[in-house]
Amino acid sequence: MKTEDDLERLAGELRYIITDCICRAGSGHIGGALSLVEVLTVLYERIMNIDPANPDWDGRDRLVISKGHAGPVLYAILARKGYFPSQWLATVNKIGTSLPSHTDCRRTPGVDMTTGSLGQGFSCACGMALAARLSQKNHRVFTIIGDGECDEGQIWEGALFAAHFKLGNLVAICDYNGLQIDGPTSQVMGLEPFTDKWRSFGWQVYEVDGHDMPALAALFKSLPEEGDKPVMVVARTVKGKGNREVEGQVSSHNVFVTSPEAYCRLIEGLGCTPVALPYE
Amino acid sequence: MALHDKQMREVYAATLGELIDGNPAVLCLEADLAKATGTALEIGVKRAANFVNCGIQEANMIGVAAGLAREGKIPFCATFACFAARRAYDQAFVSVGYAGMNVKIVGTDPGLTPESNGGTHMFFGDLGIMRVIPGMKVFSPCDVYELRSMLRYMAADHSPTYMQLYRGIAPKVFDEDYAFDPDKLVRLTSGDDLTLVSTGYMTPAALQAARALAAEGLGVDLLHCPSVKPFDAATFLESAGRTRCVVTVENGDVACGLGGLICEICAESQPTPVTRLGIKDSFGEVGTIADLLDKHGLTPEHITDACRIAAGRRNQEA
Repeated sequence: MKTEDDLERLAGELRYIITDCICRAGSGHIGGALSLVEVLTVLYERIMNIDPANPDWDGRDRLVISKGHAGPVLYAILARKGYFPSQWLATVNKIGTSLPSHTDCRRTPGVDMTTGSLGQGFSCACGMALAARLSQKNHRVFTIIGDGECDEGQIWEGALFAAHFKLGNLVAICDYNGLQIDGPTSQVMGLEPFTDKWRSFGWQVYEVDGHDMPALAALFKSLPEEGDKPVMVVARTVKGKGNREVEGQVSSHNVFVTSPEAYCRLIEGLGCTPVALPYE
Repeated sequence: MALHDKQMREVYAATLGELIDGNPAVLCLEADLAKATGTALEIGVKRAANFVNCGIQEANMIGVAAGLAREGKIPFCATFACFAARRAYDQAFVSVGYAGMNVKIVGTDPGLTPESNGGTHMFFGDLGIMRVIPGMKVFSPCDVYELRSMLRYMAADHSPTYMQLYRGIAPKVFDEDYAFDPDKLVRLTSGDDLTLVSTGYMTPAALQAARALAAEGLGVDLLHCPSVKPFDAATFLESAGRTRCVVTVENGDVACGLGGLICEICAESQPTPVTRLGIKDSFGEVGTIADLLDKHGLTPEHITDACRIAAGRRNQEA
């Protein structure tokens, strides 16, 4: 098992890969990918029951990234876990790629559901959790939604549905970074009191620092294996985390890298020595 | 009671029940319209383990169905066509079509048939907007025998599918031994004077018109189209090439549905004049089905008249 230092190193490497992939593609949703690095690192290294050599293994835990534009962070960890050759990472958003900007289960081994139109992946995750219940299977379904995504009515339809059908095998994580395309969530469409809303919808709600991997691991491990209530983990995150060129900025949602200088600035923004890229 | 004396919804529910009994992966999803669809007792009570009532959440229902399908389930999701095809279209497009999920979307009360529910509940573009989702099969059965066979096909076929479902009693067109084939138009009457293409709810009226015209000596090649997608272009083009005169009739908007499809095929493959009967750039409104069909020129008499005119024009040009 990897040590905590190993996980920190891996998280740094994922940030480097995400930044480099987006730079090579010329544009990409860097902010909401960087904010999820620790959440995905902990899920894939500490929590989810998976077999990278057998992506469709029926007993695996599922992960649906409903905020599908976070594709690059998922691709970085999936490549690191061996779901597909690391060389694929150099093809993000190139025509014919297996790694499109928004996650696509028909193209990428290890992607459990196609997402991209906000709110929809959350309903799909509810359906996957219901399927497990109907078939008396014990795996769990994890799903990651964005805070801005919670503007969508479909999220709240799913919230009612999951509680009504007692989907205790569903663990939702909200990447609560406080920013959406047009500004802070508080200004564009207020969500507070956010945790109270989910509690009132019948969910078991937890809050955690979404960049604190020991805290994330401890929380996920403490969740009941079997329960009647779906779980909402509100992960307090920073959009663009770990890259000072974009961190905490509204504009980090989707960056355009139009010059070699912009590329250099984004790489330098990581504040680390260059990582040996697995696809070079 | 013979099968064709039953309402279409009774046969929908009974057939879905048989399919569930034969394959527990088949599920019935509803959005608070199970009583209207007919599944409340047959599935909701008798086969409760395979019944998921999603409440008034059409968008979530389609998303949930996609998730269920991802796990190998075969969900049949029913709601009024206006909600199935219009309200939940983005879910049908992305979570079902684009994701390639084996979800069956059933749009009940198509076209003018919502009657007193009126314009908000009438959507005429469902065949059209569903057929532009790549990989989506699009069906419209005309009677209970076809509905039953179609449902059996859908449960065995691994494809996203949209099916219209008129809920009431439909005049009998086929027999017990009818077998639905999505790749085939069904020739109901033969003739060399005119090609009449109909689908779903309008086929019995088209058949009545074709018989009346035959009695006058006008030979109608009546092609019933249970599958708008895939579409049997070969049979159609052979017929149209022979008659050089085409009329289409549908319980929906001619711009994008069957009439639109036939015009596309004719324009690209074999230019032929086409008369399209259906709704033309109009919203729906309240009214009895008889009054609504009359207003939109869709009674057997209207169809007969339109065919006479189309054949007469072809003869003048020839």
